[in-house]
Order: sequence, then structure tokens, then C-alpha cells
Amino acid sequence: MEELRETYITPVVPLDFTYNYRVGQYMERFLNSLKDKKLMGVKCPECGKVFVPPRMFCGSCNQKLDEWVEVAQTGMLANFTVGHVVLEKGARLAKAESPYVLGLIKLDDVDSLLLARVEKVAPADLKKGMRMKAVWKEELAGDYSDLDHFEPA
Amino acid sequence: MENKVAIVGVNLDSALDIEKSRERLIFDLVRGLMDDLGIEPTDVDTTIFATNDFLVGRTISNVFEDSPAGVYMRDESKVEMDATNAVMYGTMRILSGNYQTALIVSQGLCGHQVSPYLHISYSLNPIYDRQLGLLNELSAAAFQARDFLTKYGFGDDLMHAIAANSLANAALNPRQARQLPDISPQQVSESPYYYEPLRELHCYPPTDGGCAILLASAERAKELTDKPVWILGLGSSMDTYYIVERDLTVAPSATKAAKRAYEMAGISDPAREICFAEIAALFAHQEPILAEALGLMEASDAAEKYQSGETAIDGKLPINPSGGALGGHPIPATGGFRVAEATLQLRGEAGKNQVKDPKRAVVLGQDGICAQQNSVLVLGI
Repeated sequence: MEELRETYITPVVPLDFTYNYRVGQYMERFLNSLKDKKLMGVKCPECGKVFVPPRMFCGSCNQKLDEWVEVAQTGMLANFTVGHVVLEKGARLAKAESPYVLGLIKLDDVDSLLLARVEKVAPADLKKGMRMKAVWKEELAGDYSDLDHFEPA
Repeated sequence: MENKVAIVGVNLDSALDIEKSRERLIFDLVRGLMDDLGIEPTDVDTTIFATNDFLVGRTISNVFEDSPAGVYMRDESKVEMDATNAVMYGTMRILSGNYQTALIVSQGLCGHQVSPYLHISYSLNPIYDRQLGLLNELSAAAFQARDFLTKYGFGDDLMHAIAANSLANAALNPRQARQLPDISPQQVSESPYYYEPLRELHCYPPTDGGCAILLASAERAKELTDKPVWILGLGSSMDTYYIVERDLTVAPSATKAAKRAYEMAGISDPAREICFAEIAALFAHQEPILAEALGLMEASDAAEKYQSGETAIDGKLPINPSGGALGGHPIPATGGFRVAEATLQLRGEAGKNQVKDPKRAVVLGQDGICAQQNSVLVLGI
């Protein structure tokens, strides 16, 4: 029997629909406080760890987190990477226009790390443990992007 | 769990672009396996698919898989996770006593059909991480790599050595998608950066592929093969999603999964009793992290282990003699590939990748960001 050759007609099948997630009380409070240049976290009553951004439950203790704390906007660079690519729409790998720095910031008195863009430091000068401070956008809107980036303090 | 459930047959195929439809791939895998064993799909009591709706681009993504797999109107179920979990599900069905055979079928077409990075990007927290748009599978893996290297004072050269070990093995293996003959650590070090310190050849390639695995009870296994490979133990565990509060240099969920699997298998000293490991390390640095979690080495010794050749096919403890996930990562079949490759090794049928006279193997499949979820199987003859 003659082997049928697979064809290469490839119709594009997009999946473009919208999910309307409600962020919930915790993220709503976090976002609203960004408007006042405040970083809010929650503290676990059992292990005492402070999480920023806040969330409702502590995974390791299985406790509800309801003690709110305002946290410092300074900390140290716990980890960093220099990105040479971007994932467009989270998927397609493309070369970045120019290398950019992402950092995991260990805020003072916070136990979780905060992922943010890092600016005003050359990639070659990046060092774990560098002191960092939060830099805000000029116009605050209670949006995720209000906290613009971190830079050396 | 001695000699109760056996792997009696495996079939696998992968490529960067497999030039087949999903249904054709499944048909070829299952038909090939049935022909090898001299049975028909009607001889299979139950089938478990491991398939991913998001990557297939349709809900109930097994809707078109029943016919090519010979499962039409027959007993069938599905897991939406790495294929090692489908192997566990099939094993449990046989252990229930109600099934004598279980067919595992898994495939993914992230080589030519859709980006593999969607898998993790769309697992991210939609009300924070996805809104910020900074985190993805590759940037997270880069943080993990940097933490790992810094913790032990290793240089990037260790990443190149680990990747070269896997990629050289993959180049010997016709079942692997990424074929880079004569690969060297130097060549790895010259591949472009994704996120520092992670380079292209430290990472899995977008891959098409699938596998079919037949499990059988001890009684039925005797009729189907004279080389049964026994499932001796299994375990699985999940770490927190939040990588910002995990120590990324260790994999405690893999440790816990391995502990259960080893206990079931009666293994107390894995570094001595395990002959080789097939580990779904999606990025070079994950291999020593997961190998440590499996009790096979101290991660702090990684530089010495990889440079001395101990992890090579002819080394004292071969790790990913098949070439591992750096040779191909057909999500979510990757863990199934590790099971199938370990089976071929234990049967002495791994060709140029064959390790010498192995008796016991450990297999790890993972899912989620920075190996959040881990499933471990111990296999033996």
C-alpha cells in the first residue's frame, strides 16, 4: 500500500478569550495601598512569616492569614538574572531589544521575595546582597505597575 | 511492592518536528506496541491517557485519542499531568485486581504546533504574576540556576558539563529529538543566553513526541514477555507554587516522593542500590538538584561527579543515559519517556546508550514551575 504523505496545511487556531478573575479582598487591598505608595503584607499567626504580595493562606501551616502589616520599601537583592529574550504573550521566544535585569528582592522584615525589574545598575555590577529601594511611578493608579522598579539604595 | 505490576512493552517516538498529526502519532505508537507484543487493543483492559488540554488547544483533549489508541468504547481515563502519574494510575488499577493490563498513552506536540512555554506561563497566578509579566518558565529557571551555582560556588562551566553529558547521550539515541553529534561543553557555552546564566543548550528543546507503555499483572506479564520490568515503588509530592518562598536549590517534594518510592521498593541506600537514573531535568542545573533529592549524590559534589565521568553511560552512577529531557521534552509525555528509556535499559535493549547490567533504576517525572511537582518510580528486574 502506498504510504500517504502527511500534508503541511496548517490552519491557525487561535484561543483568544478573556477570563475575568476577581482579585479578591487581599489583592484588592494590596493594589489600593499602592496608590498611597504603601506595600502591604500579611503575617502568619503560626510561623510568623510575612508575605508580600499578601495571600489568604499559609501553605506550610494551613493557617488563615489576617494580620496586615505595612512593610519597608528597602531590602537587598537576593537573586537576579539578565534577560536576553522575551516571551511574547508568555509563549513566543524573541530576542529582547536590549538586555534587561530582573531581581528577587528580599524586603526588610518580609520573608517572601518580591520579583521586580532592577534599574540604574549595569549587569556587570550586579551582586547578591546589594541594598535596593523601591521606585514608584510618577502617577499612581492602584495598578500592578505602580511600583515601577528597584534600584540601588 | 515486589513483582506485582510489570512494564511489558514500550514504544516511543520524538522529533523537533515529527511531521505527523497527533492521531497518526498515537496510532503508530499503539499499533507498534501491539504488534511487538503480538496482541490486539481488545486485549487491553484499561487505558490511561496523559494529555494536556491547554497544549492540545481543546478541552477533553482525549476526545480524538480513543480511536487511534484502539480504545473506542472501551475502559479509559486520563490524567492532566506528566505521564509518570498516568503510569501510577495504571499501576493502581492493576493492583486493584480488576484489571490485568493497563495501556499508558501520552503525547505532546510542542515542537511544531504550539509553544512549550505556554505550559508554565499559563500556570502562573493570573491575578499577580501574569499581570506583572516578569515571571516565566525560563526566568524562573535562571533564578534557580543562579541560586544553585552560588550556593556551592560553582561556575557556569558545571552547567556546560551537565548539558554536554545529556546532549552527548541524546546524540547516541535515535529516540531523542535533539541530535547534536560531537557536542562539547565549549559548544554549550557558546549557545546564546536566554536568561543569565541560562543558555539555549542548558534548556530542553521544544519537542514533538509520544509514548505508549503497557503494564500488566504478574500473571499476565508472564504470558506477554520473558523480560518483565517490575514497578517496585512509587511516590509523588508537590511543593508550593510560590517560588519566592522556596529554596530553589533543593527539591523537598522530590525527596518526599523518592522516600515513599524507596520504602515501597525496600531500598535503604539508593546511591549504592540504584544502578542508573532517568530524571526529567528540564534545565541542566536541575539534574544535580533532583539527583540529590533522589539520594544519589550530594549536590555539593556535582562538579566532581560530572567532571570525573561518574554520571556518564559507563560511569559509576549513570544519570540520564538516554540523554534525558535536554534531548526532548514532549510535554506531558516526558516522564513516560524516562520510564520507557529505563525499561529498555533494564531489558538490555538501550543500544548505544546501554549501561552495564543494570538491575534497579529510579525514574523522576516533574511538572510545574522549577520542578514544583515530582513523581518518582523505582523499577527493577
